[in-house]
Amino acid sequence: MKVTRSWLLEHWEGDWDAEAVGRRLTQAGLEVASITRLDKGLERVVVGRLLEVGKHPDADRLTVCRVDVGDEELTIVCGARNHKAGDHVAVAREGAELPNGLKIVKSRIRGQTSQGMLASETELGMASSSEGILVLSPETIPGTSLAQVLGRDDDLIELELTPNRGDCLGVRGIARELAALTGSNLRPLAPQVAVNDMARAEIRIEHPTGCPRYAGRVIRGLTVAPSPAWLKNRLEAVGLRSINSVVDVTNFILLDLNHPMHAFDLGQLELPLVVRSAFPGEKLTLLNGSTVELGPDNLLIADGRRPLALAGIMGGQDTGVTGATTDIFLECAYFSPTLVTRTGRNLGILSDSRYRFERGIDPMGLTLAMERATELILSICGGRAGPITLAENGTWKLGAPIPLRYDRINRLAGIDLSPAAMDALLERLGCRKTVVGGLTCFQPPSHRHDVTLEEDLLEEVVRVHGYDQVTRVLPRVETRPAEVNPRETFSRMLPRRMAALGYLEAVNYSFIGESLQHRFDPDVVAEKLLNPISEDMAVLRTSLCPGLLESARHNLSRGNLDLRLFEVGKVFLPGQDHLMEKERLAGLIAGEAYQRAWHTHSRMVDFFDLKGDVQQLAASLGCSGLTFVAGGPEFLHPGQKATFHDLENNAPIGWIGMLHPEQQRFLDLPQALFLFELDTDRLHACRPTSNKSDGSLSRFPALERDFAFMVDDGIGAGAFMAAMSGIEPGLIQDVRLIDVYRGETLPDGKKSFAIRCVFRALDHTLTDQEAQELCGRIIETAFRLFGARQR
Amino acid sequence: MRKQLENLQSQALEEVERASSAHELEEIRVKILGKKGMLTHLLRGLKDVADAERPELGTIANVLKETFNAALAARMQVLQHQEMQDRLASERIDVSLPGRVPHGGGLHPVRQALTEMIEIFLQMGFPAMSGPEVESDWHNFGALNIPPDHPAREMHDTFYLHPGRDGKQRVLRTHTSPVQIRVMESQKPPIRVIAPGKVYRCDSDLTHTPMFHQVEGLLVDRDVHFGQLMGFIETFLRRFFERQLPVRFRPSFFPFTEPSTEVDMGCLFCEGSGCRICKGSGWIEILGAGLVHPNVLGNVGIDKEMYSGFAFGVGVERMAMLKYGIGDLRTFYENDVRFLAHHARGRGV
Repeated sequence: MKVTRSWLLEHWEGDWDAEAVGRRLTQAGLEVASITRLDKGLERVVVGRLLEVGKHPDADRLTVCRVDVGDEELTIVCGARNHKAGDHVAVAREGAELPNGLKIVKSRIRGQTSQGMLASETELGMASSSEGILVLSPETIPGTSLAQVLGRDDDLIELELTPNRGDCLGVRGIARELAALTGSNLRPLAPQVAVNDMARAEIRIEHPTGCPRYAGRVIRGLTVAPSPAWLKNRLEAVGLRSINSVVDVTNFILLDLNHPMHAFDLGQLELPLVVRSAFPGEKLTLLNGSTVELGPDNLLIADGRRPLALAGIMGGQDTGVTGATTDIFLECAYFSPTLVTRTGRNLGILSDSRYRFERGIDPMGLTLAMERATELILSICGGRAGPITLAENGTWKLGAPIPLRYDRINRLAGIDLSPAAMDALLERLGCRKTVVGGLTCFQPPSHRHDVTLEEDLLEEVVRVHGYDQVTRVLPRVETRPAEVNPRETFSRMLPRRMAALGYLEAVNYSFIGESLQHRFDPDVVAEKLLNPISEDMAVLRTSLCPGLLESARHNLSRGNLDLRLFEVGKVFLPGQDHLMEKERLAGLIAGEAYQRAWHTHSRMVDFFDLKGDVQQLAASLGCSGLTFVAGGPEFLHPGQKATFHDLENNAPIGWIGMLHPEQQRFLDLPQALFLFELDTDRLHACRPTSNKSDGSLSRFPALERDFAFMVDDGIGAGAFMAAMSGIEPGLIQDVRLIDVYRGETLPDGKKSFAIRCVFRALDHTLTDQEAQELCGRIIETAFRLFGARQR
Repeated sequence: MRKQLENLQSQALEEVERASSAHELEEIRVKILGKKGMLTHLLRGLKDVADAERPELGTIANVLKETFNAALAARMQVLQHQEMQDRLASERIDVSLPGRVPHGGGLHPVRQALTEMIEIFLQMGFPAMSGPEVESDWHNFGALNIPPDHPAREMHDTFYLHPGRDGKQRVLRTHTSPVQIRVMESQKPPIRVIAPGKVYRCDSDLTHTPMFHQVEGLLVDRDVHFGQLMGFIETFLRRFFERQLPVRFRPSFFPFTEPSTEVDMGCLFCEGSGCRICKGSGWIEILGAGLVHPNVLGNVGIDKEMYSGFAFGVGVERMAMLKYGIGDLRTFYENDVRFLAHHARGRGV
């Protein structure tokens, strides 16, 4: 909401102090975003009269003008062609800094001194394009500041109003609030209209709830013309375009009194008017040129033949006021906020009128607005006004008085105000004190739709009293410890663990492109947004990987080649009867495993770097002993992917692998990437249930024995090692794969596993004989299960 | 014999003196004192010596042994010291060579701010709870006193989903306030909780991303009042920013609180004198709060005559930007590792 100082002062009797007014309004909840001078850039621009316009001796296209600027005569060289001697023009004098940034200095143009510039509308910030220089009315006086002529000797106040304060969407509303806040007065508004003796226009309200009150009047014999300067200036100062005198008056009333009005060309319709629901499929072409198809949910103003206007939103094109209009029907109504909101939203039409009806205008202010509009139209356009018709269907009533308990207000607000002080404060806002059944009640004024409860009165009291008057204390709380959810604590621990493993945390949007989602998770139908921001944010993600890959792509394109990224967040999976939100953890690595340095050779990361990190993560959370089984999603390299499980081999916790080279090429990624993703619920489930460790550590020494076995190439290390560990879990404490070898000394299709076994008993020192026996069993088992021969 | 002993002594001492390593010294000891050593050999001749001479020779031999051992020990000490010196000298390194640095990981700045906030609120007695990101229209709007045609819905540019199986409208939550409702539906007062998490609005420009993070807080108890809300927020802000900045409360409007307040904090960058960050006002708008609206309490079956409550909502990105000096909101979601590594450095979370 924008308002100028001069406009506000037409309604408010207070003293103007921009800073104080701004602060008072802001502190009362009407946030003043800015107060700016409207004449910014026009400080050194004045009216000049061209005394003489001569040709420039050395340039065909230039003129040399002698200009009277009141206190002196200037010589100015000008390149425009639309001026002649006697014209009144805008002169930017030396030292001016125009709204477009141009600085005016004394200069010589082709040998001629130029003491300023004759300015165009573009240069003065009045229009985005213009031809030639601005020529002013001959009534302007040379030397007068242009700002004054244009009505810009003013301040512009910009308010950011909350949706509950629809009553302040008019200048008078703001003035009323300001008067209440500062204890000063609102100027009286009493329009004088001579009513002609003509038939009252008939209006019928046929909708039960959409239009509680409707005021209308006929004005005949007027002349539509351009608006007078004061009206034009008022509208233009707050950013509205002047259209014609009648339309400008209705717009002025909208801004001034917060009553959207509409003027119909009476010649284009037949009275009586009806306020009714649209028929299914009924069409109406609006003032903005668009044609809308309507239905019973939409409210219309119509005559006997056709629809004329979309109630509360916009008038129809056919009955709009034009230069040829001589008779009008003027409307000022109260339409239901709900109905206007729905229609506006369904049809996608924004208008100043809709905005105000949605927030609720004052149903009791219709006649005053009508009289004021009529007064202005008669004085500007002439004509004769008929009597006002006020149609009502009784569906709007002033809200019931609200009971108020002074002690409760004080207790909830944390203040200590006397009943008298509260009364005074509420009465200043227009609330009327009554006593109903022994209870003190307050009746809010008809323009305050937002005040309906005792708590609303509470807010009014604290707001006007001042939030800064409330003593700040800390709440009293019990010493009962906060109830902490262990599952959520686990989730919050994951990012720290990953960071400790050397990963940087990424955060991606929860939505991705549908084709990308389909590419990575073709078996899952992702949930679509009905109104996505763009195609690449159209569906809810079903995996964290596409997002991480996008992050990788962004980094690689910027030359960040070594990546260790992770993300913790939700994915959204369609379930049996509802969407399931699952928390996942995913990681991605690429580039060099270590940076090349004086002490180490670099190498590129591989599957086992990532696998080791996953194992370390799981171990640090207490879930040791993941098993990895070849397999996993299609977008991974078929030979380098695995799912991982807990020891009981339940459903997979997650998967890990190298991005399929085809996907890598499709995503245009310059290097190999390795990814994993896991379900944090399942990771959480495989943690030990108790913090107590089972078993104790042996005090007896360990024996180490190394073996080398030759096995078929197809034998997996995981199964081999698991079998060795399982021979005698109580004594074989650890089996480590210390070498895998393929090569010339071995036959084709064979490889060698070198393993180191650690033997240790809990209760005694192992004897050589016991160790010998374990060795024998290891060799025997390796042969029996895997056909392995010791080398 | 005596002469031989004297010669041996001088020869032995000379050799000890000449020895240049511990090893050599050991060889000399064996050569003199060993089973087949020279002194041992010489002393074997004692049995052939006259009885009268034997005690004197014995004494001389003992003195020789002692002198030799002493010389040996002294020389050993010198040599060991020398050897240590040589070893230390040979093991000298350039300590200015770079160390072997493990990979540096770190939390996203949003996570850092979130973690710090969760920690402070927990200390103040408010544990964190989470809730679904896809919400019913009722939990996101209706229960929070935002009926379908309320203009406040326009403050929330909502992402809509197809209705669920039950035919009800579903949305991506536009705030974490629905968690308030879920908590109040399932717990009885006194209630203390915060709800951190992702929220979504259909808006994307320089200062808006379609997804961002919020922390919502709620206290419902007997006699909770507006002054307590103010004190609580002020305490939290000063703890989070580790500064005693002024905190200002302005009336505002949220459908789910009455009275409502917008909270401003003295600008961190100019200390209130006005700068680019605070647009010259000296104040930074930081969060919204208020007393829980009676309709909201009514919607979850809490008696407004018996209980009252306060609620607040904080934007996490904004807090992170202010605390960590991040200028551009959009950098949060580019995940550039240079940005992430830069902001992971030196933060104790």
